[in-house]
Amino acid sequence: MFRWNRVLGFVIVLSMLLTACAAPAAPAAPAAPAAEEAAAEEAAPAEAESWWAEAGAPYAGVTIRGISESTPPSRYSAEVLGQMFTEATGINVEFEVTSWDEMYNKPIRDMEANTGIYDFVYIEQDHIYSYLSRDFLTDISALLAEHPELQSPDFDFGKFTSFIDNFKQDGGIYGVPMEAFIKPYLYRADLFADPDIQAAFQEQYGYELAPATNHDQYRDIAEFFTAYGEENDLELWGTTVQGHTGHPSATYELVETILPTFGVYNWGINLDTWKACVENGGEMNSDKAKEGFAFWLDMLQYAPPEATSSTWDEVAATFAAGRAAQGWVYGENAAWIATDADRSVVIGNVGVANPPVAEGVIADAESGAGYIGYYDGGAFGIPYSSKNKEAALLWVQFIGQESVQADWAAAGARIVMESTFDDPLIVEIDQKVSGYYTLMREAGPLYRGAAPLPFHNTLRGNIDTFIWQALAGEIDAATALDGACVAAEETMLQLGYGE
Amino acid sequence: MRSNRMGWGLLAPTLIILGIMGLLPFFYVLVVGFFDWNVVSATGKPIWTGANNFRRLVFDPNFLGAMSRTLLFTVTVVVSELVLGFVLAQALVKEFPGKSFFRTIHALPLMVAPIAVGATWRLMTVPGFGIAPYYLDRWFGIDYNIGRYAEHAFATTILMDVWHWTPFVTLTMLAGLSALPKEPMEQALVDGANRWQVLRHLTLPMMMPVIITTTFIRLMDALRVVDEVYLLTGGGPGDSTRFIGIHIWRVVMTWTDYGYGSAVSLLVYYFTLVLCWLLFIALTQIGRQQE
Amino acid sequence: MTLITLLPIYWLFVVSARTRVELFGRPTLLQTSFYIDNYLKPLSTPAFQRYLTNSLIVATSNALLVAVLAVLATYALSRWKLGGSDSIFFWLITNRMAPAAAFILPLYLLFTRAFRLGDATLYDTRIGLILLYCLFNLPFAIWLMKGMMDGIPIELDEAAFVDGASTWTVLTRIIVPLAGPGIAVTVILSWVFAWNEYLFAASLTSVQARTITTGLAEFVTVTGTNWGEMAAVSFISLLPALIFLAFVQRYIVMGLTFGAVKE
Repeated sequence: MFRWNRVLGFVIVLSMLLTACAAPAAPAAPAAPAAEEAAAEEAAPAEAESWWAEAGAPYAGVTIRGISESTPPSRYSAEVLGQMFTEATGINVEFEVTSWDEMYNKPIRDMEANTGIYDFVYIEQDHIYSYLSRDFLTDISALLAEHPELQSPDFDFGKFTSFIDNFKQDGGIYGVPMEAFIKPYLYRADLFADPDIQAAFQEQYGYELAPATNHDQYRDIAEFFTAYGEENDLELWGTTVQGHTGHPSATYELVETILPTFGVYNWGINLDTWKACVENGGEMNSDKAKEGFAFWLDMLQYAPPEATSSTWDEVAATFAAGRAAQGWVYGENAAWIATDADRSVVIGNVGVANPPVAEGVIADAESGAGYIGYYDGGAFGIPYSSKNKEAALLWVQFIGQESVQADWAAAGARIVMESTFDDPLIVEIDQKVSGYYTLMREAGPLYRGAAPLPFHNTLRGNIDTFIWQALAGEIDAATALDGACVAAEETMLQLGYGE
Repeated sequence: MRSNRMGWGLLAPTLIILGIMGLLPFFYVLVVGFFDWNVVSATGKPIWTGANNFRRLVFDPNFLGAMSRTLLFTVTVVVSELVLGFVLAQALVKEFPGKSFFRTIHALPLMVAPIAVGATWRLMTVPGFGIAPYYLDRWFGIDYNIGRYAEHAFATTILMDVWHWTPFVTLTMLAGLSALPKEPMEQALVDGANRWQVLRHLTLPMMMPVIITTTFIRLMDALRVVDEVYLLTGGGPGDSTRFIGIHIWRVVMTWTDYGYGSAVSLLVYYFTLVLCWLLFIALTQIGRQQE
Repeated sequence: MTLITLLPIYWLFVVSARTRVELFGRPTLLQTSFYIDNYLKPLSTPAFQRYLTNSLIVATSNALLVAVLAVLATYALSRWKLGGSDSIFFWLITNRMAPAAAFILPLYLLFTRAFRLGDATLYDTRIGLILLYCLFNLPFAIWLMKGMMDGIPIELDEAAFVDGASTWTVLTRIIVPLAGPGIAVTVILSWVFAWNEYLFAASLTSVQARTITTGLAEFVTVTGTNWGEMAAVSFISLLPALIFLAFVQRYIVMGLTFGAVKE
């Protein structure tokens, strides 16, 4: 009896090992009948079609591999666009969709070790600088110049919104934008429009209830609605706070969203001398910054209890669950909060506006010296270590075509091309998302992405703890910023920046 | 008789695999620990820095804080799990109806992936949406908030780890207990010893090898904990649950400081080694005394 | 005690049964509706099916490999006085002591650079993971089984050899049956570890050899964690572990009497 067990066991082991050793299964085709239909409907005019087939001919059968995050825009590009591209050119696209953390770690390792695993990578706007400082990426415009036969007639760098400027350096262009959002101010339009609430507010504060345009108004509104929620036994608070005491999102909200509205830009770091403390020419612990941080901490009392456990995720969920009357919410969430009944209970009741700002900030933003909020997004770039640069070049042009932008925007609430704003599909959706796209188009130039810090993650990692401790109430805003600026300077020095 | 060659031959596959997968990376890390290497530094290349990384370590409050936290966590967790696991194993080794069912149930937490454990506990304990804060507030009026109060977060990580890993101890103890011969215990009971004496003088000494092994494994794993806690608290509030595993993760992944990260890892490795060695000696001494 | 054990798992199940909207409403312990989509969506995605299969193959292969190697190794360590075996024994366990993060880079380099056969590397392969997990499971297995192996009297071996048995026969007929509980525990715990491992699986696989735990991490995104589906997948990944456990469980408790000579 035992002998049979052993034999069986042995056979199983052997077969397992053989299966494991066997050549990996063919790349999983993104099986989606819907995608094929979409591809059929998207049938570009015959000439364009044949151009792709012709251009792709020398590379047919090649598989390019890319890595991106598992968000709707990326998934759309992986599932729908990838399928379309393969049909048009014969080049296979293998998409690794992964978590936010790994999306950075793996390409960095790949490019650092020059192992050529990825042929295109997602470059978030705040990371482009790190990659550029290490020459990790290929200059796409230069590559196009070298290969005129691969220049698609449907692709034009000039058609993109100003967002593409983030990916330019010294005349070269290193990324093709694939998603972009602004982080606006969201508010409960239904609550703000309620006549009883309006009357009560007017009585208490002496002015009309409207989306906040400065911090005092923001505070008043937060205070009002928190009290309102208590009095009426509702699960409603006056504001959201992205204050998870152990997650980078909290640091981001402070430096990218709050501080700029107080006039402290680029995290308060002097980009010429690489200093952060006021004593050395920086602004991270300036009075304005401390005021801003204190304001933000003050908001905790008007935020729901999960605020100190909220990342961008929970903030969106909090708002979508109807628990907050106003807040700063990332644009990519604004769309589904306003429209998706499976995930939100406030559909149709969401208002979108520019964030409240201190005096002088709008002027700074208009002149280009500053900005009022965060312009988020990313592009696809081609690593220097890639072994299939030409095939990848075709891919990035494919996703950068004008013709694919509208449906992609509908699926992922992202716009990177000027013309997409005018597309009838988008105009229609714009109404449903309370004019988010209109706001993005008109006020977009007032927002900006992350500061050009080549050591983005490292620096943020070093100031995180101070911010978190302040949020947990262990230290106050001023102490936190004083400590943070010193840590920031030490880090920069250690990395070889600044004196 | 049977030559030494056969002995080595049986051992060889193990040594080869572990040598490649374990020894080579270890040497790599050892070497890198002497370099100043950060992917995003101005040069981006490794620069020789001698023992600088190690010197930096000794005075680094982040590191020292993480180590002390980890030690406290580990000791609490391992002791709790050993005691609880042993008690449960004793209960489950007996014959009673539904024994298989209970055994399977009690082994369940072990089967859940650490990141799923972290995620589940996070969902249970997130203020506002989770059942724990909600009911604790409704029934007992306790303000339970792991994002705000460091003690709550720390206690929750301990609870989570005990929940997750006690079955491990239970299973190994169960195997050990059931492999023990019955006669000595029965004989002793017949001779008039009570249960407690049987336990102390017979069962425990005979279980020593299993207890030692289990303690070691749990000790090592608890010192290295990352996924579960990371998902639960991210190391927060502030850094109150940032254990050394998470600290190293941050250094290597977030800061991309490979040089410093390697140095920290080496030190922790060495520390674990010494700790285990001491414990090993202590336990075998006790074991010898019992005989 | 059982209730406390079950509570988080129950909660996992409840979460998996909820829609996203329900999840962020007022928390309740009881669940009336069952949102089956949370289960259907991942199950019908070919990618996830692949992840599950990969996990199964990797975990089972590794568990069996570890069991076999551990039996051989502990037998060798127990029966022979090999030079330096004590140090080897101790060194074995140290492999499990190192914090994982820093070792990802060298292992990555090993997988992508060192082991090359033309274009094929160990990166993103199941065999790569299977071998890697030996690093954690073998030491544990050896330590656990050494005690049991030592407890099997060498007289049994001697008796068998006198009767003309070969080493192989001794191993299969005498050692393995007697070490049954140890082997069973080793198998189940190695399996569980390999099944649940996240860090290395995430770093050293890409698209082909992805395991289910890395699939879980995919659910956490900037646009909202899909807790419902994540819980559903977690729950699904529990089941094979459970089945495996139930199967192996009876070998753990085998009322063997010590010292019996089976001939």
